[in-house]
Amino acid sequence: MESELRYVVDALPEMGWTALPDGHIDFLNRRWLEYTGLRLEYASGQGWQRAIHPEDLPQLLQVWQSAIESGEPREAEARLRRHDGKFRWFLLRASPITDASGSVVRWWGMNWDIEDRKRAERLLGESEQLFKALFDEAGTGITLVDLCRGEPIRNNRALQMMLGCSEEELSHFATFDQLTYEPNRESDAELFRQLCVGTRDNLRMEKHFIVKDGSSVWANVIFTLVRDAEKRPRYVIAIHQDITDRKHALEKLQAQTELLDLAQKAARAMAFDWHIQEKINTWSPEQEELYGLAPGTFDGTYESWKKLVYPNDWPAVVNSLKHAQQTGDISVEFRVVWPDGSVHWLAANGQMFFDDEGKPLRMVGFTADVTSRKLVEEELRRKAALLAQAQHVTSTGSFSWRPTTTNEITWSAELHRIFDLDRSTPITPERIRTRVHPDDLKLFDRTIEQARSTGNDFECEYRLLMPDDSIKYVHVVAQATRDQDGQLEFVAAVQDVTERRLSEAALDKARSELTHVSRVMSLGALTASIAHEVNQPLSGIITNASTGMRMLDADPPNVDGARETTRRTIRDAHRAADVITRLRALFGKKETTTELLDLNEATREVIALSTNELQRSGVILRPELSDSLPLVTGDRVQLQQVILNLVRNAADAMSHVTERPRRLVIRTERAEADAVRLSVRDVGVGLDPETLDKLFQPFFTTKENGMGMGLSVSRSIIERHNGSLRAAANDGPGATFSFSIPQASEDVTKTPNPNAGNLTDKSYAERNA
Amino acid sequence: MVDRPLISVVDDDESVRESLPDLLKEFGFSAQAFSSAEEFLASDYVGKTSCLILDVAMPGFTGPDLQRELRVRQQKIPIVFITAHRDANTRHRLIENGAVDCLFKPFSDCDLLTALNTALRVI
Repeated sequence: MESELRYVVDALPEMGWTALPDGHIDFLNRRWLEYTGLRLEYASGQGWQRAIHPEDLPQLLQVWQSAIESGEPREAEARLRRHDGKFRWFLLRASPITDASGSVVRWWGMNWDIEDRKRAERLLGESEQLFKALFDEAGTGITLVDLCRGEPIRNNRALQMMLGCSEEELSHFATFDQLTYEPNRESDAELFRQLCVGTRDNLRMEKHFIVKDGSSVWANVIFTLVRDAEKRPRYVIAIHQDITDRKHALEKLQAQTELLDLAQKAARAMAFDWHIQEKINTWSPEQEELYGLAPGTFDGTYESWKKLVYPNDWPAVVNSLKHAQQTGDISVEFRVVWPDGSVHWLAANGQMFFDDEGKPLRMVGFTADVTSRKLVEEELRRKAALLAQAQHVTSTGSFSWRPTTTNEITWSAELHRIFDLDRSTPITPERIRTRVHPDDLKLFDRTIEQARSTGNDFECEYRLLMPDDSIKYVHVVAQATRDQDGQLEFVAAVQDVTERRLSEAALDKARSELTHVSRVMSLGALTASIAHEVNQPLSGIITNASTGMRMLDADPPNVDGARETTRRTIRDAHRAADVITRLRALFGKKETTTELLDLNEATREVIALSTNELQRSGVILRPELSDSLPLVTGDRVQLQQVILNLVRNAADAMSHVTERPRRLVIRTERAEADAVRLSVRDVGVGLDPETLDKLFQPFFTTKENGMGMGLSVSRSIIERHNGSLRAAANDGPGATFSFSIPQASEDVTKTPNPNAGNLTDKSYAERNA
Repeated sequence: MVDRPLISVVDDDESVRESLPDLLKEFGFSAQAFSSAEEFLASDYVGKTSCLILDVAMPGFTGPDLQRELRVRQQKIPIVFITAHRDANTRHRLIENGAVDCLFKPFSDCDLLTALNTALRVI
């Protein structure tokens, strides 16, 4: 039996052995000896123990001892050293062989190589440890749900911290339900149910938890279904990634984006980042809207951009791009024409980047619609232009002056023109003062002083003495206002009234000329009427006399007829005498107006009145008017009539003169015995000594068309002024007619005469003082 | 005596109406005086008149008015105007309008005769 057992054991494909009841190993099979490399005689007895790993031996011996004592089979695991020195794990089993009485007669055993299993076990253990470490130490919160148990079976520290709960609390779905943001609870649960029943294998959801302290926790949760070998849902792994911070950041970013968006829309200024050469539309829809484009229709090219810009403004854009090549800054305003034809002003400000060739590469900045500002600017510009134009047309400038603060004067272009002051330096009252006419400085200073001290509106007129010695009259109307700071500010209009003043003077003159002309004209009409009245009877006289002559000359003479015609002649002669008498009466009634007058002035008016006529007659007139001529009293118009008569006579006297200039001199001078003399000298036909006596008689004339009344009337006028009218032949050719009248007495000249007030500089200053 | 040319005188001035016809008769013409244009037109002498001595300025129907009226009536009577207003322009205008002459009062008997002779040659 013993040999039989050994034979069987030896034939085993595994390592086997037999032992005596006391545990003495008496046989080891071939496989055992081959593995260990030990010989039988060496390994039997206690020798086998050398093949056991020292760490495993004590426990093995203990198990073996317990087997021997109990007589029961035992197993143990231990490492056995192979012949090459390497250890492998084996399962060692010892089984008793008993006799009929149940006593152990022998022991036999087998060793199974379990190295592979052991390694797997070991690996599994490591994996389990790794998993556990990963699970517990992971930064993300993880739950493992056992679907058989219907509860979360494990959760990690990260999840506990995230949700502020203990491991125990998180082992119940109820906890998760409670923490879930209430409005989401139902929908979240439904999604999870779908996972649990295996409808889906993955689920990703953003969970919003309200944790115990009331704060919000957001988690991005990835649920993964794990199925068993039969593909039945077995576990669910839920990985919670805390995205609360990101969520807050996002919300903040969202808020900022919205704010930016709102600000852009409010400012109608759109930010853009345009990679010009990439032909990609990086413009926002709002940016496109500024150009009147539908969203997404801009192709992003430089050329397309150029087409959008109003052609007239493109040069300005190009200029600003050139400028940007130097500085990098771009700031340009241009118009774009929308597809609907409307024109919009855009302002682009930003940074421009260029490639090596200097082509625009990238533009970052803001585009704003500035149409309304431009319209306002345009309106302002037009109004300013209109104002400037109006100021120019009306020779009116305007200024504002703050006497109490800067003292500087802001004034319009027209004022620069009127005052002819350099624009580069600030205008102050002191600078203006340099232009004021010396005679008006007192007036100017007083006006400025009063304006400063009283702050009242003021109005004044003064003269300017320009660098070219010309004189300008300016009229200033200023209104006192208060500026935004409550400081005194004058807003004023200044008008160049030189023309008006000069034309007023001219008008005064013209008015007096008109009076004169009308009186002269009425004199002309009177003369014609006298002529008619006298000619009628004269005509009768001549006809009758002629008829009478013929009747008497007839053969035989018609004496009766002649008597009749003579009677009629006498009657008509009486009629003529009556006419003269009536005229005498008429002249006699004529009232003369007496005034204090300047004979020079009266003479100048006559000269002005006859200038055209004299020029036509080729007469060169030279006035020689005395500077110190006393005033006279008299009828201005009558005296002018005399002067005019003398001037016309002189011109007529020279009408046939061709061999010398037709020179006419009018001279005024002081005469003897407090008198004033006016003489008119010509180079005409001169005076015949014979006619000299008859000159002043009525109806005497040397002229073909003359009436012979001029000098007669003139003499009577002069005599009425207590003066005398004389004529004298010149030493050379021509004659001189002169009159002298007494100058006005002292007491009369002291009274100012309003009618004598022509626009002289002196009187002007007095008027404004 | 019937074949003497008839000279009609139209003038509002009485002394002219008195004196001129006598002078005209001394010249050898028949003469007839009228104080106004209307009186002349209303008379039987219009067709018989060989020459008209006509005052320019008369109240109402003036000399030039009568000149125009006669032209309208196709009465081609030569006219010698007389006027106390020495106005060369008026004279020029009247002659342009067909008058033989315009004499300024007072005129000499020779001037008048020259004008009348011219007028009668016109016919």
